[in-house]
Amino acid sequence: MRTVTLAAVAGLLATTGAHAAEPLDLVGPVSDYKLFVSEQTDLLVDETEAFVAAVKAGEVEKAKALFAPTRQHYEMIEPIAELFSDLDVAIDSRADDYEKAEADPAFPGFHRIEYGLWEHNSTEGLDPVADQLLTNVKDLQGRIESLPFPPEVVVGGAAVLMEEVAATKISGEEDRYSHTDLWDFKGNFDGSQKIVELVKPLIADQDPAFIKQIDANFEVIDVTLAKYEEGDGYVTYDKLTDQDRIKLAAAVNALAEDLSTLRGKLGLD
Amino acid sequence: MTATETRTPPLSPRTARLALSGSAALVLLGIGAVWWAASHAVPESTEGEIAVTINDAVCDPMALTVPAGKSTFRIHNASNRVLEWEILDGVMVVAERENIAPGLNSTLTERLKPGTYDITCGLLSNPRGTLTVIPTAESQAAISAPEMRTFIGPLAEYRVYLNRRASALVKATAALSDRIEAKDLDGARAAWIEAREPWRQMAPVAGRMGDLVNRMDPLAIYLQGQESDPAFAGFHRIEYGLWAQNSTDGLAPVAAGLAADAVELQTRIKALELTPPDLAANAADLARRVADQAAGGQVPYSQTDLTEFTADLEGITRSAMLVDPLVAAANSATSAALHQAIEATQATLTGFAVDGVYPPFSEVDAGGRKAISASFETLSTAIAALNPAIGLE
Repeated sequence: MRTVTLAAVAGLLATTGAHAAEPLDLVGPVSDYKLFVSEQTDLLVDETEAFVAAVKAGEVEKAKALFAPTRQHYEMIEPIAELFSDLDVAIDSRADDYEKAEADPAFPGFHRIEYGLWEHNSTEGLDPVADQLLTNVKDLQGRIESLPFPPEVVVGGAAVLMEEVAATKISGEEDRYSHTDLWDFKGNFDGSQKIVELVKPLIADQDPAFIKQIDANFEVIDVTLAKYEEGDGYVTYDKLTDQDRIKLAAAVNALAEDLSTLRGKLGLD
Repeated sequence: MTATETRTPPLSPRTARLALSGSAALVLLGIGAVWWAASHAVPESTEGEIAVTINDAVCDPMALTVPAGKSTFRIHNASNRVLEWEILDGVMVVAERENIAPGLNSTLTERLKPGTYDITCGLLSNPRGTLTVIPTAESQAAISAPEMRTFIGPLAEYRVYLNRRASALVKATAALSDRIEAKDLDGARAAWIEAREPWRQMAPVAGRMGDLVNRMDPLAIYLQGQESDPAFAGFHRIEYGLWAQNSTDGLAPVAAGLAADAVELQTRIKALELTPPDLAANAADLARRVADQAAGGQVPYSQTDLTEFTADLEGITRSAMLVDPLVAAANSATSAALHQAIEATQATLTGFAVDGVYPPFSEVDAGGRKAISASFETLSTAIAALNPAIGLE
């Protein structure tokens, strides 16, 4: 973790004598972020409609093809989507959250459908799950619209997305039936990078070394992921080489560490 | 040290790594997650932290109490599953820590407002504990004078609203221009009414951009040459043509100018920097202006004043309601008066609708106009009381 130590030193040097951004400087970035989240949520609703229609029509292959791109929008807006605990559970919880895992009748949402599509190669019994998913995604859209975004959540979201990848995704456990994890990663990375882009102007002068390091790690991620592109998306997760997994993990861990200081740098701790 | 901590000795990153690799299921976690978990395994309790242990089905303790402000929680996972720990306000997540591996600790630092929260304790089906955050002198003082950062969210929300309204105006004025080019009188009238909605909703701030207002919205009665004055342009010049002259003749350049000004307005809205007092102050000012205009009306040819007032009310409400949660905490009577004034104004306006449609304003008599004026006057007064309640003058 040499890079992290260097970053900490650079950060210390840079913050000495530098002044924190004024609180109201964040109004622009937070509102631009809401516009971004709102766009992604609209796409999530549209694409979930198509995905649910395919599930209900029993079109297994089509539903499989729509699963990953649809979820990607949810992954992109996760810092906000996760604020609604009831919907997050209903839309994106995993079998581990339930006592009887996959067999638990309460296991809902994207991953329940994923399980049916890939493990049973079937849409049988998924109609009510699919209907409920669409209802929940629309409910999410309405709630996001009426929520003033807390700036701490927006700025903190850049690190949260990276921590999630580092802690619970790099292992391939998120999309364990479909192995479409790289699509989710891309969503998480893009969501994090969007936040960084929006607040960057507020810290660039004060902390150029910090920005440089973050950009370098995002670059590593972009280059590594690009090797696995296929069509409009990505190959399955098992195709990722150990070497690239280590490379990704290192960049993601470094970003998670660095970005966790963003809130403090912007006076939001 | 609590009994819990005695039962579970601290884990060094090395033991943590061994513990992880010992579990068959967790071997699958892969290099990254182990690395992550190991580098984030934190030692046992430190001074000033609040310790909470999650067992298989409960939190220990089930009830936590902390003072308002910044608190650090040290969460120890004594269950046999990976878990997340959340602080919830209703269904809303206030703060959370994810992926705490069995046997490990994680810390969570958060600034909390006074109130009662739920805490999660493992599986979704497990009972939840409670977290009580008690007020401090500092948190009490922040109620009547919120910190500047408290206004980032409301101002950002309003900026989103204005940007969307500006973009709706750009679209609608382009459509109006298009219908006029096509000499489609009915289509142009409908497009004009549609364009007025975002224009009026933005009036609390657009009204402050004097040069644009003078180009986009001048009323003939305030111009030397009235309708024949060369400065008579914008919305009302088009309105005059469409309703008083029943024609689109000569309106094309006026509509093109209006559409161009809408684009200019959008650019300015994007660059606009509002401050916390603006939210209520601009809304109160507009409510006062509407009260003044209600007797004479503001759209003399189309007579669609009731529709305009409804859009005004929406724009005023949007802006004022963004500070209402802060006001409600500081002074509930001031907040209640605001809600009451908004509802009363809405009721006054909808009272004129016949089968859900507003009649021409010419059908609203002097008494009716006075009632509209009075309700906006009351609304303005109610909104003017918001800033003083939260230390903004």
